[in-house]
Amino acid sequence: MINNEIVLSVEDLVIKFNLRGQELTAIRGASLTLYKGESLAIVGESGSGKSVFTKSFMGLLDANGRIDSGSIIYKGNDLAKYKTEDEWIKIRGKEIAMVFQDPMTSLNPLKTVGKQVQESIELHQNLKGEEAKKLAVEILNDVGISDPDRRYNQYPHEFSGGMRQRVVIAIAVACNPNILICDEPTTALDVTIQAQILQLLKNLQRKYQLTIIYITHDLGVVANVADRIAVMYAGDIIELGLSEEVFFDPKHPYTWALLSSLPQLGIKGEALYSIKGTPPNLFKEIKGDAFAPRNPHALKIDFEERPPYFEVSPTHKVRTWLLDPRAPKVEPPLLVQKMREMEVKRGDGIE
Amino acid sequence: MKYYAIRLLRSFLTLIIVVTIVFLLMRLMPIEGYFTNYDKLDEVQIEAKLENLGLLNPWYIQLKDFYGSLMKRDLGQSITYRPKVDITKILGDKLITSLRFGLVSLTISLVMGLSLGILMARYKGKFWDKFGTCYIVGANAIPAVIFYLLIQVYLTDLFKLPLLYDRTDAKSWILPILCLSLVNIAYYAMWIRRYMVDELNKDYVRLAKAKGLKNKDIMLKHVMRNAFVPMAQYLPASILYTVSGSIYVESLFSIPGTGGLLVTAIQRQDNTLVQALVLLYSSIGIVGLMLGDILMAAFDPRIRLSHEGGSR
Repeated sequence: MINNEIVLSVEDLVIKFNLRGQELTAIRGASLTLYKGESLAIVGESGSGKSVFTKSFMGLLDANGRIDSGSIIYKGNDLAKYKTEDEWIKIRGKEIAMVFQDPMTSLNPLKTVGKQVQESIELHQNLKGEEAKKLAVEILNDVGISDPDRRYNQYPHEFSGGMRQRVVIAIAVACNPNILICDEPTTALDVTIQAQILQLLKNLQRKYQLTIIYITHDLGVVANVADRIAVMYAGDIIELGLSEEVFFDPKHPYTWALLSSLPQLGIKGEALYSIKGTPPNLFKEIKGDAFAPRNPHALKIDFEERPPYFEVSPTHKVRTWLLDPRAPKVEPPLLVQKMREMEVKRGDGIE
Repeated sequence: MKYYAIRLLRSFLTLIIVVTIVFLLMRLMPIEGYFTNYDKLDEVQIEAKLENLGLLNPWYIQLKDFYGSLMKRDLGQSITYRPKVDITKILGDKLITSLRFGLVSLTISLVMGLSLGILMARYKGKFWDKFGTCYIVGANAIPAVIFYLLIQVYLTDLFKLPLLYDRTDAKSWILPILCLSLVNIAYYAMWIRRYMVDELNKDYVRLAKAKGLKNKDIMLKHVMRNAFVPMAQYLPASILYTVSGSIYVESLFSIPGTGGLLVTAIQRQDNTLVQALVLLYSSIGIVGLMLGDILMAAFDPRIRLSHEGGSR
């Protein structure tokens, strides 16, 4: 599924924000390589920097945020060095497009849905007037809006939440981008609609050869769509691997904790697992492993030195001292082991 | 279409109710208001005069007669203000004078105010925003009379402009128009800035940015129009209300407009004139609101639909 053509490569990205005179480090040297045609899911709790990380690819950081160091290489250009609007205009929409979380407010309420899709087309596909309109109707049809000719002339308030999210997706696709970033695309939707939207994104990915980054804290979404998973914690990617590797053979204690808190894995009658403590304060410099204070398996070195990436397999790398040969052997928690067994059983069942 | 029809019908109904109530209330006024020389008349003469005016008829007959003459665009004659002169004639000249000043100053205020407000929103927190804020605070905090006087005293000297209004001298119109515009500019700048900043923080602006629209185009194609909608509601009413003139400016430059006419009419107990003015102002209010609603509905599709039950 994954070929080896790299579309985007992020190296040691550091993003800082000025907040009330203080400096906050939102992204602490994260690196990521994105392959053509894949679906990558970035998971992590609120405030872990998932959104900020991807927004920086499009120059959409808030005015008080800036890229401090590191590089974002796309088609031979370093996006981290882009400053002016003129530079970013070449990237936004045309190369990288974004779908936002809340479809209820993402559309201009005073313009017809069709016009808003058409605007994307006219911006990026060198079509004008009738031709652009024809393509807009076609794309509306592609995103599963029935009777697109009539719907083209309707306003956002005449659409339901799920339908509006389809329109938002249509707007992104109409830009004809290479990379589509979906920032919590299903969070604001009904559970029944969520699956439809994810299926839609999968279909569009095939049709338009998109590389998709999903940002989510919903592991259900991840299991559904992702080829690879990046787990973020406190502004850093702490575990990155194929979907199966991260789900069934996780190595980082934070990933263990995250998976253990899935309600589906809980045992009936027992309290649901929750991670103790709170995420670290990003205003202060973090020493060692950011997760160490909340980690029951933390080693002494976790508090002193930041762990490097250890390779579990060519596709699976993890930032934890537990993988150092000198570290004591720690078994993942029971719930995670149970998940692995479930997978093995399921695999047997298929064979 | 249905929405507009309903809205129109409702306004018409309100208008009739208001006119009727005003007319009936006026009938409760002391009868002195119908005479210039009440003290000198005896009862028979008074009786005869009232009879002659039709005021001794039962109220419903009076109401019928009133509507009858309204249809013929006859508002009766002034009694004490300018005795025996048709009210339509008195008002006609004054209304046109006030209207002319009002419209010119409103146009200036809109153009200047909206431009200033848009600049303020575009460069929020920068020079233009700070400049505009100072101006708005100044215009609102200092009582208007003070700078009207300053303008009249100093600018007339400085630019050799006439002190008082003269119908034939266009130069004498500049200062009154300036006075009328100053506060309104601040008012429009304040509101358009506020609505634009509201719009700029909305998610659809973020989406427009993410799909590669330039800031300039986002402003022009999305934000400005959306920010104008809430202002559209009050625009027709402000235009119509210019006929009521400004009591300060008109007396300061001795402009023969409608400003303060209602107060004078009440002081002089000129019943028919008061009746005509109350009628005029209340119909302006109603028509203004109705036009505002219609204008807003024309801009904002959500309003039309919510009345037809929506289609969600």
